[in-house]
Amino acid sequence: MAKITLQNIAHSYNPGAAEKIYALNSFDMTWVDGGRYAILGPSGCGKSTMLNIMSGIVTPSEGKLLFDGVDVTNVSTSERNIAQVFQFPVIYGTMTVEQNLAFPLVCRNYDKPVIAAKVQEVAEALSLEKLLKKSASKLTADQKQLISLGRGLVRDDVSAVLMDEPLTVIDPDLKFRLRRQLKEINHKYSSTLIYVTHDQNEAMTFAENIIVMDEGNIVQVGTPAELFERPKTTFVGYFIGAPAMNFIDCEAYENKTVRLGDVMITTDTDMSSVKSKRLKLGIRAEYIKIADKMGTNRIPVSIQRVEDLGSHKLVTAVFNGLNLKVKADRDKLILSEDVYLELPPENCCLYVDDTLI
Amino acid sequence: MNFKHKYMFLLPGLLVLLAILIFPIGFTVRLSLSSWDSFYPGLDFIGLENYIRLFTDDSRFWEAFGRLSLLSLTTVFLQYIIGFSLALLVWKEIRFQRLFRVLFLIPMMTTPVIMTVVWRTFFNESLGPVNDFFNLFGMQPLWLSSEILSKFTVVLVEVWQWTPFMFLLLLAGLLSLPKEPYLAASIDGAGPVRTFVYVTFPLMAPISIGAIIIRLIEASKIMDTVYVLTSGGPGTSTETSSFYIFIKGLREFQFGYSAALSITYLVVMIISFTVIAKILVKMMVRGE
Repeated sequence: MAKITLQNIAHSYNPGAAEKIYALNSFDMTWVDGGRYAILGPSGCGKSTMLNIMSGIVTPSEGKLLFDGVDVTNVSTSERNIAQVFQFPVIYGTMTVEQNLAFPLVCRNYDKPVIAAKVQEVAEALSLEKLLKKSASKLTADQKQLISLGRGLVRDDVSAVLMDEPLTVIDPDLKFRLRRQLKEINHKYSSTLIYVTHDQNEAMTFAENIIVMDEGNIVQVGTPAELFERPKTTFVGYFIGAPAMNFIDCEAYENKTVRLGDVMITTDTDMSSVKSKRLKLGIRAEYIKIADKMGTNRIPVSIQRVEDLGSHKLVTAVFNGLNLKVKADRDKLILSEDVYLELPPENCCLYVDDTLI
Repeated sequence: MNFKHKYMFLLPGLLVLLAILIFPIGFTVRLSLSSWDSFYPGLDFIGLENYIRLFTDDSRFWEAFGRLSLLSLTTVFLQYIIGFSLALLVWKEIRFQRLFRVLFLIPMMTTPVIMTVVWRTFFNESLGPVNDFFNLFGMQPLWLSSEILSKFTVVLVEVWQWTPFMFLLLLAGLLSLPKEPYLAASIDGAGPVRTFVYVTFPLMAPISIGAIIIRLIEASKIMDTVYVLTSGGPGTSTETSSFYIFIKGLREFQFGYSAALSITYLVVMIISFTVIAKILVKMMVRGE
């Protein structure tokens, strides 16, 4: 395993053109040895390009890629010691499970006893030991995906296992099991796992650190809790969490206080360094409290819709023509009139130009 | 909807099927039970006499069958090997890729009979340019009148004419392959040979089987090449089943007997292709 450093990496698919269009804008990033990362973002945000740069399928038009300090930018995929699991399981259909798992070692001319021991070890870790003699093409999609992963794990020299939306073709209940297995493997082998997905749930449950990307830029890097509690941009707020974060246009009034229409809302944010008056207040649906009378940090709303989602109620309230989503307990009685929403100061995030203050 | 209405809608299709498929086959079967020839034209009934003659007293037909198997299997095998190699050559980005792709297709676009005449001229043993070249080394191979070489010439012309068809099918197959298995093989450290053996060839197996079967069906009807190039000769050394049936039916006008030959040929072909397809699937799609 190795520490992977991306130095000023940028990539354009039309490098010779007068006006370059970047799929990935210049950035620096270090992937700590043994870490479990998720690259999260909408389709076309550059996450697969970033992954392909690390695996060597794409050579970056700018910048350097270092594995443990060694420049591997122009080193071929096979010499780069990377394992990659693709969206659709890739297996060698003419081989047995055992031969599939052994293949990377056979290609590297390992001794037979070493190969057998390694294959047995990985098969046990992936719960494939009973299937070793079976033809790989006869397995289910999730088992095939485990083989793809296993071919990465048999090698001792793998710097990182890269996964490009590997659970897309897997049934939901198996997805859960596979994610758990991936975590266990990460613990057991201390392998760096980098997981690309557009599904925030997958990213939040899998990774220790999430890299959120948008339009070729890294927008935020953080733990799932950080991304949820303090999204660095309004994009992250919208993208992470279900429902998305509520954003209300407001005006800076005095330090830590903003004006929402006629109502003053106190926050924990120090705004002394902010010049602009036009701000956005962001708050998660989970933190808004429903009250029946006006009070500090409360805004008057009318209730538009209440949906029972089984585990909780999702309330759509209207404030100054703006829809706000609130999560309420299932047994909470929601009145249709005289309803107020309380915005706790510690949960209010303030944004200037869509960036967190 | 009423049950009978469905048949009304099916009727036009069924009638067409009846007219173009069932009637000709049915008529041929009936014809094969008659002794219709140029002396006694008419649809009389002689039972299985033609078939008995075919199985007991016509080794020439079965020899032609053996020759057909040899020629068609050899030509299709060579077409597959050469066609696959050419397709692999122009599959990846190379210079003048489009030019090569068109160039390789030219033989298929020519008229087989005309091209066979050209080949016959090439291989003409006293006037042809091929022997002009061999004469320089003091040799004069009998391309069209030696028992073995004439077979080789027929195979050569067939391979030249139909390899492009195989090339086209296999190239289309190669271009439709997913790229992930190749990336995975590269990451696993597989070189070009292993990548071909474990990725390209297995992925191409269904297309290969389809292409081989199509070509085998076509090759088993080999007729114009033999007719123009050697007329089945020398002796009967390049005579194939279809050419023999042609001789019996259209040279000797033994319509009844040639119908029996045709029906037997059809049955043997159906059985052979079923067996060949099964063998190919077993050989090429291991593990599936």
